Parts: sequence; C-alpha cells; structure tokens
Amino acid sequence: MENNVILEFKNVTKKFPGITALDDVSFSIRRGEIHGICGENGAGKSTLMKILSGVYPWGSYEGQVIYEGHELKLVDRSIHQAGQEGIAIVYQELTLVPSITVGENIYLGKEPVEFGVINWDKLYADTQQVLDKYHLDVPARGIVRHLGVGKMQMTEIAKALAENAKVLILDEPTSALAEAEIEQLMEILRGLKQHGVTCIYISHKLEEFFKITDSITVLRDGKTVITRPARELNVEALVHNMVGREMKERFPKGNRKPGEVILEVEDLHAIDPEDPSYEVLKGVSFNLRRGEILGIAGLMGSGRTELVMTLFGEYGKINKGKIKLNGREITVPNSREAMLQGISLVPEDRKMHGLVLIQSILRNISLANLDQFSSLFRINDSAELKVSTDFAKSLAIKASNLNAPADSLSGGNQQKVVISKWLMSQPKVLIMDDPTRGIDVGTKYEIYKIMNDLSEKGIAIIMISSELEEVLGMSDRVMVMREGRSVGTLDIAEATQEKIMALATGIASQPIPER
Amino acid sequence: MSATTASPTKTNTSEIGQQIRNNFQTYALVVAMLVLWFLFFFLTNGIYLSAQNFSNLFRQMTITAVLSVGMVLVIVAGHIDLSVGRLAGFVSVVVAYLQAYTWNKYMPGAPEWFTTSLSVLCGLGVGTLYGVLHGYIIGYLRVPAFITTLASMWILNGLILIRTAGRTIPANQPLFSYIGQGYLPAMAGWILAIIVAILLFIQMFNGRQRRVKYGFTLAPFYQDILKTAFLAAIVFGYVGYVNAYSGVQVPVLILAIIAVIVSYVSNNTRFGRYTYAIGGNREAARLSGISIRQNTFAIFVLMGFLCGVSGVIIASYVGYGTIAAGTSYELFAIAACILGGTSTLGGVGTIFGAMIGALIMASLTNGLQIMNVQAAWQYVVSGVVLVAAVYVDMALKKSRG
Ligand SMILES: Nc1ncnc2c1ncn2[C@@H]1O[C@H](COP(=O)(O)OP(=O)(O)OP(=O)(O)O)[C@@H](O)[C@H]1O
Ligand SMILES: [Mg+2]
Repeated sequence: MENNVILEFKNVTKKFPGITALDDVSFSIRRGEIHGICGENGAGKSTLMKILSGVYPWGSYEGQVIYEGHELKLVDRSIHQAGQEGIAIVYQELTLVPSITVGENIYLGKEPVEFGVINWDKLYADTQQVLDKYHLDVPARGIVRHLGVGKMQMTEIAKALAENAKVLILDEPTSALAEAEIEQLMEILRGLKQHGVTCIYISHKLEEFFKITDSITVLRDGKTVITRPARELNVEALVHNMVGREMKERFPKGNRKPGEVILEVEDLHAIDPEDPSYEVLKGVSFNLRRGEILGIAGLMGSGRTELVMTLFGEYGKINKGKIKLNGREITVPNSREAMLQGISLVPEDRKMHGLVLIQSILRNISLANLDQFSSLFRINDSAELKVSTDFAKSLAIKASNLNAPADSLSGGNQQKVVISKWLMSQPKVLIMDDPTRGIDVGTKYEIYKIMNDLSEKGIAIIMISSELEEVLGMSDRVMVMREGRSVGTLDIAEATQEKIMALATGIASQPIPER
Repeated sequence: MSATTASPTKTNTSEIGQQIRNNFQTYALVVAMLVLWFLFFFLTNGIYLSAQNFSNLFRQMTITAVLSVGMVLVIVAGHIDLSVGRLAGFVSVVVAYLQAYTWNKYMPGAPEWFTTSLSVLCGLGVGTLYGVLHGYIIGYLRVPAFITTLASMWILNGLILIRTAGRTIPANQPLFSYIGQGYLPAMAGWILAIIVAILLFIQMFNGRQRRVKYGFTLAPFYQDILKTAFLAAIVFGYVGYVNAYSGVQVPVLILAIIAVIVSYVSNNTRFGRYTYAIGGNREAARLSGISIRQNTFAIFVLMGFLCGVSGVIIASYVGYGTIAAGTSYELFAIAACILGGTSTLGGVGTIFGAMIGALIMASLTNGLQIMNVQAAWQYVVSGVVLVAAVYVDMALKKSRG
C-alpha cells in the first residue's frame, strides 16, 4: 500500500503577508493516477503546486512534502532541481518565449552543446522524439507565436515532459482551450498514464474531472475538504464541497427585454495588421440590441477575438464594411475613441492586455476610468477608492487589501479585477472576450448576475465564450463564426449545441463530441 | 485567520504596516544616506556636516537633481533621455550669451530685472521647445528614445560649439547670479518654513475630511498629527541649519518646488497615473483607452522644460557659459533615479527616491573633495559605490520576498 503513494502532503501551511494561502493541507497521491484538484479562486491550488515545483522553496512553508518516500527539500529557485527529481509543471499562465521555435523553447536552458556550441540537429531530433513519444502534434521548428493556444499548451507539456517527468502538474490547462482541443488534451493525458506518468490536474471546468481523473481533492480557503475516488463523486458534490453550499442552477434567470438596435455591423472585412496580405475578417454582419446578450461562438481561429478587437479599434485595418452605432456610421481608430463612443472590451488575455501586474489592484481597477474621478487635473483618490472597493466587494475579489499588487492575486481573482475595471467604465456596448476564463463556479454565477443586471439596465453585451454551455445559458441570440465570416445567427429558443457545432465546423451533420 | 475579502476599512495598523513595507526601499535609502553622512563626519573631523558645507552640499546637488525629477518619469514610462546634460548645457550657453551680449546690444539701459527675466524665459523656452521636438519624434514618429536622444546629444554638442566658438561667455550680473548662488534672508526662510508647515497641516485635515466623506475609517488622529509634525520639524530643522550659514539657498528652493509639484502630479493626475501604467504594461494601458502618444509627448516636453531650468541654474551658478557645461550630467541624473529605486524596466520609481539618490551622489562627491581625494580616485570610488548600492538594494528587495 505504502509504495503505492508517490506523493504526500503532510500539514502543509503557507502564509503570505496578510493571507494564509494554505492551511494545514494533508492528502496523498497514488502512483500512476490522474489526481484532480479543484477549489474556488484563491483556494490555494496554484500555491500548493508552486511548492511542489520549488517556486516556494523548502523552509518557506510549514509541514512536509513526502515524495518517493523522502521529504522533498527544494532549495531556492530550484525549478531545475524539481525537474531532476522528476516533477514537471505546466503553469496556469503560459511561459513560452513567443519569438523562438518549439524546439528551442522545449530545450531552453538545457540545450545540447558540443564544445560550447549548440547542436541544433540533436536539439530538433530530440524534440521530435519527445513529440512523437507522447503523440503531440506540434511542428518542432514552428515559431511559437504562430501556433494557436492549443498547440502552445502542447508545447508546454512537451517542455515539461522532456526531462522524463514522473509527476506532471497541469494548472488549469484547459481554461484557454476550445472543446475540440480539450478532447485532444484528454487523449494526451490518457497516453501519459499509459507511460506511467502521474498527473495532477487543476481545472474549473468540473465536468472534465469525471472524464479523466481517478481521484479528486477539494480545497476550500486553503484547507483540504475531501480526497475521494472520482467515481464516488459528481459535479453537484464537487460544487457543494467547493463553495460550502448547494448551488441549484448554473445560470441565473435574467429578466432581459431587448430593445431597439444599437450596434449594426455590415459586411465587415479587415486585414491582419502584421500581414497585410491576409484578410482576417471576410465578411461579418450582425446587429445588437439594447439590453441584449449576444453570444459569439466558433472554433479557435474563427476570428472571434479579431472581430471584437477590430470593433474596439485595436486590431485589423477595416478595408470594407460599416459599423453603425445608434444608426450613425462610426469609425474607431483606437480604443480611446471606442471608449468615448461607449464601447468597452474585457480582453481575452488578462496578463498581456488586461492588467498592469506590478501595480496595485486599486490602480488596475481604476485605470480605464480615471476621467470619472478627475476634476480638471486632480484625481479624487477617496472617490476612486470608494467606487473600486464597491466593485471589489461585489465580485468578491480575494485579497489582503486593494493596495496589494495585482500579481499577488490568484489567476481567477486577477480576472475579476479585469472585469471590475471594465464594468466601471459604464459602456453602452460591453464586449466580453471569454470573461469567465479561469473563474470558479460560484463567481461565474455572480458575474452572470452582473451581466443580467447590466443588460436589464439597457447595456448591450457581446460575449465570446469557448464553453458552449455558457453561450447557451446566457445569450439571447448566438452568432456563429467560421473562418472570419459570420455564418449564422440563432435565436436562443432554436439554438442547440448540435446546430452551433454544425455551423461552426461547416459540416451539416457533424456528430457532436459526447459530453 | 484566512484571507479576507478586500476591504479598505480594515485600515490603521495594517495600512501603516503596508505603507512601511511599500516604502521600505526609500527608508533604506534614507538610512544609507545618513550612514554616509556620519562616515564623512568622522573622516573629515566634523567639517562635513558644518553649516557651511551642509549648505553647499545641497546646492551642489540641485542641477542634476532637477534633471532627475524629469528623468524619473522618462524611465518609468520605459524610455531614456541621453541628451539632458547637453540640452541643459546648451541652454546655459544660450542664456549666458543673451546676458553677455544680446541685451547690451539691442536694449542698452534696460532695467536688470527685465533682462534677467527675459533670459530666464528664453532659457526655459529653448529647453521646452527642444522637449517638444523630442516628444514629437519619440511619441508621434515612434523613433526609439535612445536613438533620438543620442542623436540630440551630438546635435546639441555641435550647437554648443557653434554658439561658444570655443570661448567662455561671462554671465555674472548680480541679479542673474542670485538664481544659482543666492540665499534668502533668514527671516524669509523662517516665514517660508511656517507657511510650509501650515500647508502640511491643512493638507492633512483635508485628507481626513475627504476620507470621512466617503465613509472610510480614519487613522488615529495622533498618528496623522505626529506624521505631519515630523515633516514640519524636518523643514524647520533644515531652515534653521542653513540659516546658521547664509540662509535658504535659492536653487534648492527652486528644486524643492519643482520636485513637490511633479511628485504631486505623478500621483494625483491622469498624466502621472498613465505614465506609470504605460511603463508597467504598455498594451494594457493602450487597451484602457490611454493615448500613449500624447503621454509620451507630455513627458518629453516636461523633461525639456526641466532641462531649461537646469540650464539657467548652471549659467547662473557657474557664472559663464562654456563648452563643457552639462557634460555627462545625464548619467548623474540617470544614476540618481536608479539609486532611488526607479526600475530600468519601467513602471516603478518615485521622485522622492530620485531626490535622495541625487543627494547621496552629491554627498559622496562632496565628501571625497573635502578629504582631498584625487579627482581620479573620486571617479573610481563613486563607480564602486554606485554598483554596490544598487546591488545591496536588490538583495534587500529579494530577501523580503
Ligand atoms: N505572491 C503572493 N503574495 C501574496 N499573496 C499571494 C501570493 N500568491 C498567492 N497569494 C494568495 O494566496 C491565495 C491562494 O492563491 P492561489 O494562486 O494558490 O489560488 P488558486 O487556488 O490557484 O486560485 P485560481 O483558481 O484563481 O487560480 C490567494 O488568496 C492569493 O491572493
Ligand atoms: Mg491558480
């Protein structure tokens, strides 16, 4: 029995100034299993994994981590040491260097050298070997920037596995992926299991646990609530253990009454700013009503993000088509202009586009809204603090205080900061690009409620989501995109997963991946 | 106790703790400066901290300190300005030339206050105009600041050579000299100190009232009183000590006014906030509707204006315009910023920190001079101290988390 356990946490406690991230955590992980960890935003999942990978070295936490029968004592900045021990991690936020190739990324810092010169042939041969072994479909010599998020994720995994990992940690690997890619990832994980790799799997998409994991641990406020075999649990039980109460429904019922059309987009074409020969949008038309939530569905790369970024004046150059706001044709040369016209956008990538990580939570929330608090010159910092605090409270941002830097927040709480920032801007049209990415079920519900509130007040909302269920649960209408075109708009009454997938893939009788 | 949901009402002790933690670096720097002072105090048998030298020390730092006020914002926004020394030098030469030749030639017999004001305005104007040029090229044409200002350095070098034609230009008229060399009468110094103290207290009360209005709990009254009284005491102490020599130094007064205003602007206006946001994450700032061009433009205009101020003080302090004026001051200004905690990566830095940084650099040079250390060795020691100081600072930062 004992030998079956590869990893055990014994009374692990980790404190940050003003916050106890882990509080007496104890559980063990069996050899060769896929072990799921779930919990609300800020429950301590990532912190626990960072202890395993040496980001928080031995001595900076209390308690013990027993690995392969001995206590794991990683010293400061020992990512390599963890690797030598056979522990590899794929972090919540992607950590690849975008400007270099897949192979270079995988062997970054451990390039094969001969007389001090990098042996490129060996590097790419080794890369290919790793990719083949785990059936990862990524070009070894491809530049990372040109890969989709799904392939980047696979590159991360390959990088983690390149050192013969015994334990692979995946911190929210699917939050940025679409259904099809998630399915691929699951397949890869099943393959890893065959190779005897133990996996620790963190996610907020609870259904995934039941497709892939053998046992599940739930964390709440830094404490272990349960560790059980997956077959003894179900989604309801997980939710109950995570939030500590029953949740009857996933989507709150709104009382939305869509009014007159506020935004019209007619046959919009736009070209890629980096590659002028490439048209990213090849004809998008839709309209949006006051007080309505319009969902946009589509596969990765169907141009959803490019469309909304273009509407916000920050992506492609429009070479054909019209945008009309309140019946009047408008141009949006940049985001500032868009905001002045009343269009706001919650960007997809919180780290790159949403947050100034080194600045405080407060300053991040207020950044796009300082005009509200400014008289001629001066910013009224008390008003700023008051309004920001109200938003932070209504979204339950978990932090020691609002002056803490944004990068000390857990991933989901960072996302809440981004959402607060844009809610505060009181737009007429609010565009949300995958707004609930990495957010726990309880808070998702809060965000949905806020979306309902806003639309009841007459704000028009465009929501992109990679979760079909969310699109179906929240929208009044669903527009589907394929290859830069709008290929159809469905009323919610007639929309089903099947119909959306059929439009998105262009294959009329596409069988739907089972859920 | 586990994590709580964010609430600013949980203030008092925890907020002060936070403040101290946030400003730890600055306090460490102040301590380092005091240590340096005491070291020199003993090494120079007390001369170092005599009223006279103390007064000189502060006056010596003003010229580069004025430059570093602007340089902080330039670096915070993710740029650099290599031309500030030469621009200040150019301004000083222009101003000296006006003082020495132009007014005599075209306006003989004009009252001195008039010509002096005109010189100052011209100096500030030249600096600002040059800043406008920088702002346009860097902000709107998007030529990297490093290249633009490097080019400016050469161009200004050329302009200085043309203007001076290799000679020194005298600028030692009494009123003009007052700007860089003058002292306030003792009484004026005291009145100034009283006014500053009153303003500090008014500011504190206003702040408390605002917080009450928005329903925040206040820090205990005695805490705020103590804090304000402490600041006031420093002002009085300073005025008292420099009065024991000749009085409050005019250039130091100018520096103080500029530093306070720019520091306020950097924290409490959109311009300031945007600058920090742009330096912290350019993309996020842009998507927040911030016009990066406008902001960059404004930063370089401000930098140019400050070069103007610095140039006027140089001409007045040195008493003439020369080819060498302002040489390598840009490096002192940059060093003062970095020493004061400004991050070369952008997004982080304070004016106050840079002022302490500038003061430390001046303290070092001044101390070594008094000890009669050879000029060659002064350079060596300064270099070593600079690297050591920044290293210690980084090590401290890391050890705290
Ligand atoms: N460097 C840090 N400094 C201060 N507090 C931190 C730091 N890192 C994490 N925390 C706090 O520790 C708690 C746990 O964070 P952690 O990132 O482990 O959460 P999580 O469970 O991964 O959440 P999510 O699902 O949102 O990713 C949070 O409240 C967070 O604010
Ligand atoms: Mg996390």
